[in-house]
Amino acid sequence: MAESLVDVLLKGSSGQNTRGLLKVIILVTISAAAVSSRLFSVIRFESIIHEFDPWFNFRATKYLVQNGFYDFWDWFDDRTWHPLGRVTGGTLYPGLMVTSGVIYHILRFLTIPVDIRNICVLLAPGFSGLTALAMYLLTNEMSSSPSAGLLAAAFMGITPGYISRSVAGSYDNEAIAIFLLVFTFFLWIKAVKIGSIMWGALTALFYGYMVSAWGGYVFITNLIPLHVFVLLCMGRYSSRLYISYTTWYALGTLASMQIPFVGFLPIRNSDHMSALGVFGLLQLVAFAEFVRGFIPGKQFQRLLTASIILTAGLAFVGLVVLTMSGVIAPWSGRFYSLWDTGYAKIHIPIIASVSEHQPTAWPSFFFDLNFLIWLFPAGVYMCFRDLKDEHVFVIIYSVLASYFAGVMVRLMLTLTPIVCVAAALVLSYILDTYLKITPGPVTRGNLEVDTSSGLRSARNPEVGITSYFSKAATTSSIIVYLLLFVAHCTWVTSNAYSSPSVVLASRMPDGSQFIIDDYREAYYWLRQNTPANAKIMSWWDYGYQIGGMADRPTLVDNNTWNNTHIATVGKAMSSREEVSYPILRQHDVDYVLVVFGGLLGYSGDDINKFLWMVRIAEGIWPDEVKERDFFTARGEYRVDDQATPTMRNSLMYKMSYHNYNKLFPMGQATDRVRGAKLPAESPQLSTLEEAFTSENWIIRIYKVKDLDNFGRDHSNAVAFDKGNKRKKANKKKGARILRSE
Amino acid sequence: MRPFAVVSALCGLVLSSSSIVSAEPTAAPLSANFKPHQVFKNVNLVRNTNLEKGYARETINVVVENVDKQPQSEYYLSFPSELFDRIGGLEVRNKKEAEKGRFDVEAVEIDSSSDVRYFVAHLPEPLAPSSQITLGISYSLLNSLHPRPAAIEQSDRQFLTYSFSAYVPSAYQTVTQKTKLKFPSHNVPDYTTTDLKTGEDPERQGSTYTYGPYNTGKVAPGTSYPITVRYEFTKPVITASLLERDLEVSHWGGNLATEERYWLRNNGSTLLNHFSRVDWTVANYQQSPSSAIRELKYPLKPGSVDPYFIDDIGNVSTSRYRPSKGNREANLDFKPRYPVFGGWNYSFRLGWNNDLASFLRRSVSGADSYVLKVPFLEGPKMPEGVQYEKVVVRVVLPEGARNVQYETVAGPSSNGLPSADQFAVEFSSHKTFMDTLGRTTLTLSVESLTDEARDSQLVVTYDYTLFDALRKPITITLGLFSVFAAIWVIGNIDVSIKKR
Repeated sequence: MAESLVDVLLKGSSGQNTRGLLKVIILVTISAAAVSSRLFSVIRFESIIHEFDPWFNFRATKYLVQNGFYDFWDWFDDRTWHPLGRVTGGTLYPGLMVTSGVIYHILRFLTIPVDIRNICVLLAPGFSGLTALAMYLLTNEMSSSPSAGLLAAAFMGITPGYISRSVAGSYDNEAIAIFLLVFTFFLWIKAVKIGSIMWGALTALFYGYMVSAWGGYVFITNLIPLHVFVLLCMGRYSSRLYISYTTWYALGTLASMQIPFVGFLPIRNSDHMSALGVFGLLQLVAFAEFVRGFIPGKQFQRLLTASIILTAGLAFVGLVVLTMSGVIAPWSGRFYSLWDTGYAKIHIPIIASVSEHQPTAWPSFFFDLNFLIWLFPAGVYMCFRDLKDEHVFVIIYSVLASYFAGVMVRLMLTLTPIVCVAAALVLSYILDTYLKITPGPVTRGNLEVDTSSGLRSARNPEVGITSYFSKAATTSSIIVYLLLFVAHCTWVTSNAYSSPSVVLASRMPDGSQFIIDDYREAYYWLRQNTPANAKIMSWWDYGYQIGGMADRPTLVDNNTWNNTHIATVGKAMSSREEVSYPILRQHDVDYVLVVFGGLLGYSGDDINKFLWMVRIAEGIWPDEVKERDFFTARGEYRVDDQATPTMRNSLMYKMSYHNYNKLFPMGQATDRVRGAKLPAESPQLSTLEEAFTSENWIIRIYKVKDLDNFGRDHSNAVAFDKGNKRKKANKKKGARILRSE
Repeated sequence: MRPFAVVSALCGLVLSSSSIVSAEPTAAPLSANFKPHQVFKNVNLVRNTNLEKGYARETINVVVENVDKQPQSEYYLSFPSELFDRIGGLEVRNKKEAEKGRFDVEAVEIDSSSDVRYFVAHLPEPLAPSSQITLGISYSLLNSLHPRPAAIEQSDRQFLTYSFSAYVPSAYQTVTQKTKLKFPSHNVPDYTTTDLKTGEDPERQGSTYTYGPYNTGKVAPGTSYPITVRYEFTKPVITASLLERDLEVSHWGGNLATEERYWLRNNGSTLLNHFSRVDWTVANYQQSPSSAIRELKYPLKPGSVDPYFIDDIGNVSTSRYRPSKGNREANLDFKPRYPVFGGWNYSFRLGWNNDLASFLRRSVSGADSYVLKVPFLEGPKMPEGVQYEKVVVRVVLPEGARNVQYETVAGPSSNGLPSADQFAVEFSSHKTFMDTLGRTTLTLSVESLTDEARDSQLVVTYDYTLFDALRKPITITLGLFSVFAAIWVIGNIDVSIKKR
């Protein structure tokens, strides 16, 4: 009875329905797992926006929700980059904010009182659930086995390489962009396979969405043309290809040009030229194919070769001329740094100063992808075995993404989807081979009978694994690997990727959690107790957080669009007070904020970032700021007694260690990050005064003094207050000069 | 167009002691030189001023005699107009029969240029000619204490000054009067000495200073004799410029959700120099008293669960919650993110849930009628007291509740609340969680309250039927059903362009 019931459920049309239902249930479960594995930080800490960039996105989303779409589009933000301001509406990718805005308004329409912050926090986990579904669809196009898609979806759901950018609270562009990336590729594969305008148009639609969401859309812009180009080179031109590519290119480019930040880039920037070139090439090939129908073979070959060489040459010359004349922008710095990892450090220190732009270390591949990384090459090999159009895509994607992931840590994210596809292809192949019940072991008796005629292998054409032992061994080892993978993913997610970085956690001696909340303490102090227009100067890392949490204007922030402005801040931080003070006055700075980890041993502080400030300032003022001056004669970077005079007189050093020694017994002050014993005397500040220091000294805020009432300079005024004798040498007559240049 | 009727008069059957909510039409303002008729005489007046908290609390006991020929029932209380807006929780009772409840007190509409403004207390029974009554008048004066010096060093001690008139402002002739001041400590470096009476004035006894008694039978009403005292007050002067308090009743969830939003300020001395973390760490280590708000202690009703303490940028991790055991109060100790020194602000919100059953019961009179009894004001319980410049209490009743009536409960002693006409009342509807009609919301706002009102109760009665309770499930079911129906219809439309 039971067996017949199983038969009914597994065979025929009802079997199909059962399998469909099972698939749906599995996919929903995978999505749920993907969402819930990203909630560590919400459960452990709270529903909070993480890190740096998400704070800007959050602030922009709030602006969108409060002021409506058109105001958001025209948003000129005068609270950042003081006194320049930023044309925020035209210099951001609005996809993320608009997505959360739409979700917010739908929920509000249903009168569900949900806070916009919670939407922002949970957007990334929500979309990673969708990514898993998109992954299933994409992989299903690659393989005939139904298990490949499910495996790929499961991998995508929990692999740390993707989780690193999509935990709850990490409200960044990547949160929705990876879903869009995978889904666009799925639509593209579908379009190429079917050759339908509808799928091509859908690809363009989601490509447009992708453009609105993330700068990484350039990856799609180049990968699809490359796919087409390779297919053409393989002689696989077909009308399917022509239809899907031309539809995608025409509609997609139009869609992408609707984003103000992208604007005319698709026709004026070198990054986008390959798509245009392939579009042209495809027209030529299509024309050639058309002509071939009328002209005999031999002549056609000659005509074809000649015309291709001619056109390609013309196109290339045109490109060079346009680039030289400046119509087409040359490659951007970030692009060069993809080919030469040392390029950024020399030419654009601001890009090199970001840790996620550093080349990837080997262990991080294993850390982020675990056993998928060694299944990956096998999967690519599998694609070579039956080289259909879509498999060519996988191969190209793999090669490109592997390279990029090796160059920049951040691009591990783009590698992850294809690794999941490839690994799922292999694993499903293995499982299909080893788990198949039929053909079962053939009885010996039957074999004995047929020995007389022909070869044994030809007589028994059924290929498969027949031994139960090998089946069990292989399957169980695969299961062990899978379990290890799940354990690894959970561990990595929980330990490495779930810290909000705004809130730091440590353990008390009794094992209970102790939360170090200095950032918010100081930001909230600024928000509550300073005038609403007080300008805060800090290193650019904290610009977005100050804008989001303290709600005060900043000089520079993480949108590093103006290198000179950042260098100005760097110069103010790295110069003597006499040089810095005029800079601070010129920029209306009211408060200066520094991050100091010396008391707690928090290594991500400003003294450790200080060399980048120096380098960036040196890039603009090589005569005034010199990196060499911050190193001792023996080339050491020191903060103790041996520190160079330039170091000790720099504003950053003074602000970090001001009054720090009072916390310790005489002469015992130590910096726990750098393990250095500090000089017995605290650095003297004359143009700034300490306004606030957070509980664990992580954030120190200084108020910029107003001009002295008696027209003295500040060091004299301070010396006078202390009762020191006035130094004669300081006597300088003439008008007060504020300008530093 | 509200589905419910707001009834202003109350049935006194259900609730025994109550202040009646009345919305009498207000008369045109009186002219600036209005003077009440001299129908009363204050035979003896004793004023007790308590300065132990961050605001001044005054209690005046006065023996009043009717000197007119007619029985009189309107006793005017006069205040200088600069004080008038800062008077909180004014209450007048018959001192001899305090348990009979408070008298109705109304503010007198008077031209704003007047120096003196009045409240009028309506005696329940007119006072017969030449008979006497003892009135107990109590009120708080908000923002009446000023730090001197206005700015101090972080580790210095804080001193406050309080200025008042030796002659208690009164609309009537006062025969004898005296003022007793109670200071929080013995340290009173400066105080005005007078020669209004023979002997030492004030008389000092520990931390109590007494000005008077004076014979003021000849002094015209309204004469003032300024006195200023300056005393040590090492605690913060906690002021909430606004407190919004939401009470949300859910019949389905059996839950009473409370959320309070505070805009807090310390009105003490500001810092002369900037904040020094080193000094603060040392002060904390030595547990030395400070004029900064370190921590607020908030007792919650027994059975309070899921407390949260957040501000504009998220959870404040420095809070500590000790849940209640048995019938004891739960305690929420919360520390602001930073110590709040004089002149600094700190705004935050906190909330918790309670089981509705202990606050709501069915009314005796009708099956579909409910009575809700909730605290009007809770707030931190601090020895230095908290003053609230404005309090807005919003009671969100279930969707469809109608016939809403409210009152505040008055006990035998002062509940810290002003009389009913000082409340601004508004009924509105609040849409949330897939409401169709919106929930009936009662908003009460009062200005100038102190934490004296911590234990005052608000009683709300309303009608709520079974149909109201079922409205939401029915709406959602119908909504989902229509969505499915629409999908089915749309799915059946053939939009393909192929030939049929």
